[in-house]
Amino acid sequence: MTTLPWMSVADLARVIATKEVSPVEVVRAHLDRIAALDGGLHAFITVTAEAALDAARVAEDELAAGCARGPLHGVPFALKDLFDTAGVRTTGGSKILADRVPTVDSTVARRLRAGGAILLGKLNMHEFAYGPEGLNVHYGTSRNPWDATDTRIAGGSSSGSGVAVAAGLAPFALGSDTGGSIRIPASLCGITGLKPTYGRVSRAGVLPLAWSMDHVGPMTRTATDAALVLRALAGYDAGDPTTSVLPVVDYTVALTGDVKGLRVGLLGAAFLEAAAPEVRMAVEAAAKALEGLGARVDEVRLEHVTDVAPAAMAIVGAEALAYHAEWVRTRPGDYQPDVLERLRIGAFVSGVHYVRGQQARALFRAAVDEALAKRDVLLAPATPIAAPRVGETEVMLGDGKTDVRSSLIRLTRPFNVSGHPACAVSCGFTAGGLPIGLQIVGRPFDEATVLRTADAYQRITDWHTRRPPLAP
Amino acid sequence: MPTTDVDTLRRAARLAGFEFSTSDLEPLRPAIERALEALERLERLPVGAIEPVTQYRVV
Repeated sequence: MTTLPWMSVADLARVIATKEVSPVEVVRAHLDRIAALDGGLHAFITVTAEAALDAARVAEDELAAGCARGPLHGVPFALKDLFDTAGVRTTGGSKILADRVPTVDSTVARRLRAGGAILLGKLNMHEFAYGPEGLNVHYGTSRNPWDATDTRIAGGSSSGSGVAVAAGLAPFALGSDTGGSIRIPASLCGITGLKPTYGRVSRAGVLPLAWSMDHVGPMTRTATDAALVLRALAGYDAGDPTTSVLPVVDYTVALTGDVKGLRVGLLGAAFLEAAAPEVRMAVEAAAKALEGLGARVDEVRLEHVTDVAPAAMAIVGAEALAYHAEWVRTRPGDYQPDVLERLRIGAFVSGVHYVRGQQARALFRAAVDEALAKRDVLLAPATPIAAPRVGETEVMLGDGKTDVRSSLIRLTRPFNVSGHPACAVSCGFTAGGLPIGLQIVGRPFDEATVLRTADAYQRITDWHTRRPPLAP
Repeated sequence: MPTTDVDTLRRAARLAGFEFSTSDLEPLRPAIERALEALERLERLPVGAIEPVTQYRVV
């Protein structure tokens, strides 16, 4: 049997349900691995070891009594430290909230726990989720487990989530995504990260960065696992007025492996053309692989994609500063410098800019919908580069030199602006051994087709099965 | 592009409810200039009377 920390969520759920393995063994195996490796990886801010073992014992008793609570009963998980957890500190990766202990679970934490899943702890992140690098001066920056020189970022803002799943410290984690914060660490850490449709998963009890751009989603090692976790999370929540009343399907039923006739649009201009050569080759190879399975691939160009950056700047700049205003006024020195800079720039976004941003958003959303009217999914790189080094400020892309931050969010942020579901999966490695991410974008609330495409690709490739050298 | 001298920026921030000092704003100026350039592009978009995306309460 594969060792417990490397088993998928689906396999763990199965061996727990059939009582081949006890939830206590599973949790202990993960806690042991966290103890052995996390000192160097900095994936966790808080490890809830005793509570996890207590919950595992309860899960074991419930199974013995024939009372499994759901498909994830006994399966451990970890949460980005942006998600409220009752009785467990939730810091937002910050000094400002270092001692904040919520009394109520976020909706997604409550749904997972009610389904019998077991919390291992709270994960590191870019401070207040306001950065794609995953930097954190207060709790240490999470390290990318693929880099044997131990000098590269994991990506953010859900950096600890990416590292924990990639390094076998947790079978799944949750992240949040405002400009790419699930998909960027998924791409840089070689895992699967799904940003669902805006409104598919509740944001209640999740510290906001920008309310109209924030999304919550699963980070796993396979599309099957993402489908299982999404099913447990998704659905209308009275606590989040933006959640949809559309019914939640069993996403695993869609994972047939069949993509014959699937209409795939490969995003060329502004996406593939921006990518570094190794990334471009890997994504083109992925498109060919789907063609080999019977998918029909054509190249497509999205209108208004160059309007995304200023629109997102206006929307995120204003919304983020609105939330942080009082702290920016009274505790500026308690922020890490890059986050404070981004927040202060928000003061120069006027009300008219904000509305123009939302108008531009309507234009771009319509452009994505038009591209998807004749296609089932769109393909692009998730990030145009593999993981840069900590401290690196500029990178060379396919269309010129740019700063690291802009490059990391460039290909993911458009789908926060539009709200379409988008999943990052590993599609190869650079010559230096760093993961390369593919992004699959679908129609609103059609996570099933996005996951079916990702799963079909993972059935014929093994990128997602590889293990990082810093965490074998 | 609007002028980005520190005094102008300070006054603009004050109108938004924020008191930033010269030492706060001076290192921030290049980033603010880039942001203002990007925001100016929004003014040139053919958005006309397009309804902005807004949130609403699902019944």
